[in-house]
Amino acid sequence: MNIFNNKKMFNKILYFIILLLVFSSKAFAHKVSIFAWVEGNTVHTESKFSGGKKVKNAKIEVLDINDNIIHKGMTDANGNFSFKVKKKMELKIVLIAGMGHKAYWIIPIEDFTPDNNSLSNGNISYEPIGKNNKKKEILNTDCISSENLENIVEKVIDKKMTPLIKKVNLLLNPNKSPKFSDILGGIGYIIGLVGLGAYLNYRNKLKGK
Amino acid sequence: MHISEGVLSGPVLLSGGVLAAAGTAIGLKNLDYDRIAQVGILSSAFFVSSLIHINIGPSSVHLILNGIVGLLLGWAAFPAILVALILQSLFFQFGGLTALGVNTIIMALPSVICFYTFGPLISKNNSISIAASFACGFFSVFGAAILLGLSLIFTEENFLEVSLMVIIANLPVMLIEGVVTAFFITFIKKVHPVLLDTTNH
Repeated sequence: MNIFNNKKMFNKILYFIILLLVFSSKAFAHKVSIFAWVEGNTVHTESKFSGGKKVKNAKIEVLDINDNIIHKGMTDANGNFSFKVKKKMELKIVLIAGMGHKAYWIIPIEDFTPDNNSLSNGNISYEPIGKNNKKKEILNTDCISSENLENIVEKVIDKKMTPLIKKVNLLLNPNKSPKFSDILGGIGYIIGLVGLGAYLNYRNKLKGK
Repeated sequence: MHISEGVLSGPVLLSGGVLAAAGTAIGLKNLDYDRIAQVGILSSAFFVSSLIHINIGPSSVHLILNGIVGLLLGWAAFPAILVALILQSLFFQFGGLTALGVNTIIMALPSVICFYTFGPLISKNNSISIAASFACGFFSVFGAAILLGLSLIFTEENFLEVSLMVIIANLPVMLIEGVVTAFFITFIKKVHPVLLDTTNH
């Protein structure tokens, strides 16, 4: 261990290594992943490297079903990127993190909530009010109109649902770190292959006899 | 170090696949059945090491261990790394299945080159051996970075710049791998020097 006997030299090397580590800000992970979800008519995306580091200032392309680019952007310092959609359709959001890293997430059309107009098109909520007697109509002007009520209910539901939606998003999120069972499974496969090799070896030896 | 699905162009993927198949064939042909357990263990080590992320400062690095794998296995590094990469892409979605050949070449070819370059020096006296094993760890990652940059030649516009970035980004990994390899080889040399007997590869 002649090299490491020289303590000063070793310290210098160590210092150099630490300096390098601190100043190399580009993370180099094995995998990038992008995850997107819809809120109203805004699409939010979150991009991460494996190991949980955020993908900063990476290109993002939004494609339609025919792979035409309809939107372009960059992730911010937190790896997030949001954009508004004009038309509801299936979207493919591609993250290009450079150095051979790419990932995409598809938002199916069902993820977009139906228009508010389509809900009120049925006019179900209006009918009883128009048909009923004057007394009720007068009452109606004092109280909340059905339209207002709809808005209020929507707001309250949105508020109550937000944590739930966040949890569901978290479950669907591909940015999760690998599970312990996956690691054990992989090692198991390798042991299996070694066993297979050993089996072939002994079979050949027995045949040789 | 893993190239994702859909990044590389067809010719690169194809030539990577062919080269990887050739390397694996040579590795399997040269593989002594008595060493198969060792190949399995190193394949497992490679498989798991990619999960070990070390967060230092703003960067996050991880071990690759292709230097150690190459030094101990020689050509058999190809099948060992290929198997580990298949499992990584299936279980952890690291790298794409279509890019498997290219990824195997990127990591296994430097291992084999380092095995031939530094392998003979390992049996020398202590300071030469430590220096050689450090260089082996360092240059196996360096070679991987260069191959990664090369494989992007048809898909990245400013490919030289990207290659330089890949090398700079991996400098900490190279140093850590070098130190880890040096300690590991020194340890093996003391405890179980038979593993380093490079004559029966």
